[in-house]
Amino acid sequence: MFDAIVIGSGMSGGWAAKELTEKGLKTLVIERGRHIEHRADYTDSLLPWQLPNLGMVPEEEAARDYAIQSQCYAFTTATQQYWVKDSEHPYSYPEDKPFFWLRGYHLGGRSIMWGRQSYRLSPMDFEANAKDGHGSDWPIRYSDLAPWYDHVEKFAGISGSKEGLPQLPDGEFLPPMDLTVPEKDFKARLEKAFPGRRLIAGRCAHLTSAQPHHLELGRAPCQYRSLCDRGCSYGAYFSSLSATLPAARRTGNLTIVTDSIAHSLVYDPKSRKVSGVRVIDANTKQGRTYEAKMVFLCASAIPTAQILLNSACEAFPEGLANRSGAVGRYLMDHLYGVGAGGMYPGFGDIYHAGRRPNGFYIPRYRNVTESGDYLRGFGFQGSVLRAGWNASQPGIGVDLKAKLRTPGPWMVWLAGFGEMLPRPDNRVTLHPTRKDKWGIPIVHIDCSLGENEQKMLVAACEDAKQMIQAAGAAVLYSNSESKGVGLAIHEMGTAHMGVDPARSVLNKYNQAHDVSNLFVTDGACMASGGCQNPSLTYMAISARAAHHATEFLREGVI
Amino acid sequence: MRIDQTFDRRELLRRAILLVGGTAIAAPVELFADSGAKARFFGPAEYSLLEVVADIIMPRTDTPGAIDAGVPLAFDALMKNWASRERQEQFRALLKEIDQAAREQGNGLLALEDTRRAEVLVAFDKSKNGDRVYRKFKELVLTLYYHSEVGATQELRYEHVPGRWEASVKMTPETRAWAV
Repeated sequence: MFDAIVIGSGMSGGWAAKELTEKGLKTLVIERGRHIEHRADYTDSLLPWQLPNLGMVPEEEAARDYAIQSQCYAFTTATQQYWVKDSEHPYSYPEDKPFFWLRGYHLGGRSIMWGRQSYRLSPMDFEANAKDGHGSDWPIRYSDLAPWYDHVEKFAGISGSKEGLPQLPDGEFLPPMDLTVPEKDFKARLEKAFPGRRLIAGRCAHLTSAQPHHLELGRAPCQYRSLCDRGCSYGAYFSSLSATLPAARRTGNLTIVTDSIAHSLVYDPKSRKVSGVRVIDANTKQGRTYEAKMVFLCASAIPTAQILLNSACEAFPEGLANRSGAVGRYLMDHLYGVGAGGMYPGFGDIYHAGRRPNGFYIPRYRNVTESGDYLRGFGFQGSVLRAGWNASQPGIGVDLKAKLRTPGPWMVWLAGFGEMLPRPDNRVTLHPTRKDKWGIPIVHIDCSLGENEQKMLVAACEDAKQMIQAAGAAVLYSNSESKGVGLAIHEMGTAHMGVDPARSVLNKYNQAHDVSNLFVTDGACMASGGCQNPSLTYMAISARAAHHATEFLREGVI
Repeated sequence: MRIDQTFDRRELLRRAILLVGGTAIAAPVELFADSGAKARFFGPAEYSLLEVVADIIMPRTDTPGAIDAGVPLAFDALMKNWASRERQEQFRALLKEIDQAAREQGNGLLALEDTRRAEVLVAFDKSKNGDRVYRKFKELVLTLYYHSEVGATQELRYEHVPGRWEASVKMTPETRAWAV
């Protein structure tokens, strides 16, 4: 019997495990994938000429086994080990509504695959649902989470600059990564042409200056290699493997089981609590049950809904903790793939050295400082960097070689990330007949963009083009269409927090309204998504929930 | 020690290098190669064509060229280990097409003098700049070159562990681009 079970070892599970073990709770982490050893299993030592097939996964293998995963920018031979085989882990979606579900099943989950951009939600974001009536009102406000953002930023190590922006609160930052001279030029021109917009250094979970508590865990400063997708042997970016799990381990209170697929939660109708977790051994397919006083569900938004729905029992025929019917509903991602790019004139006499694993950020301004004919808004990630050799350059031979020897022009790009409204019809359900090879019903994902999102895509593209042009640069490409729902890899909302137990799944402590010792702290808990990259919020919410859950346990309330 | 037949030769060699030397020792590209033309994807005539074409696209100058960097052999390996059947056929056809373009100038590419070969390729490159198959072919040749050890470290520059981010560095006309 454990004090707590945490299902999932990624961004949220790692934090739950760290906080619970540090509070003295004997904690079991259940991970469906295999063990990955920090450093030893990473591929970041491979030199460009050692990379199998130039990093390209064999085409027929990619099409056969990784039809969805291969759509991700980070899918290469160096990262292939982290991506699930779609052929082994099927899910379904309506033919006209493809959903791109990108996944990694292993210890550390997607915390070793993430983009590392780290932004706080703002007061405005926590008030959005209440204000425009979409989704459930968040049961917490920014002030509830602010101290927990401080807490997780200090531990994780977030690089960034203080900007005093109400829509993107400052945090406990390590030094920011410098902008290039053309980026500073772009910033000046942009902020002059559009006084309500700001361009700031990207905020990312990299140690630009390692503090003693980072060094203690064996983490070292960022080496500016930009090999992050392969796993970082320096532990320079935050992951469960570099940070939270080592911190949990040193308490002596942590147990991890890998290759253990959470099948369902065991509900005890007498105590009206969950008593444990049924798992299936990924290799032997044998079932077993682990027991604990409370359960943290951190499996990521879609599997969390899947596990709850698959835990239906007499007391909860529609799925555990689902009296509201909201489990699986309100699925959100961020609008992704929209933006523009172009050639930035001038600055031919300067270059850069090192590979910055970060860029700049233009925080949301629509429906903040400028209006939009849609609800909510979007932010942009981007950079102005000098191009390297360009394979599409015409010509061959000595002339081409001479041309490609020197750096190319400065290129600017802006990638929009827009907020999706929480809509009940965007939904994860259990497939009525299909099961995976472990006998678990696969998920059916029915998710599409609505009118508000379509308007926003067009607007974000138009804004991106205008900003590039305002800087005197030429737009070379632009895109106003979503690249596909799911591709932002920000699934959220499928067991959301809310005030009203009849409409939402979790209360303000991430505690299930219907089951007092069940907590959900992954992306599923999000009542709305903002337009900011959400991982930092999962971290803060997980730490906060672990704090309250431990108090409830100690007080004998759960 | 029994060596698993499916074990990747390249990986074996990489490990051997790591065992004796630590990091990036320049391993002659021949070591990576399969022992004979027999194991190649391209037939002897196709392979010779590929060599000539790669050499013309990226010739030896004051720095090594595509042949020195082992591009043809690595390209052949890509065909075996990466390319789909469709892709393989496309590139086979492309080489044939290049040879055909030479024949229209009087003789197959291999039979032409060096300067004539280059002329044929220059014209071909110009006419095919919008062609997806040719663009991919050229991209692969260039990537194999610039990501090879000589391409990345002698022609261009590569630092595996930069250890710093310098957002602004003064450069001169001699400053080389980063390979990655």
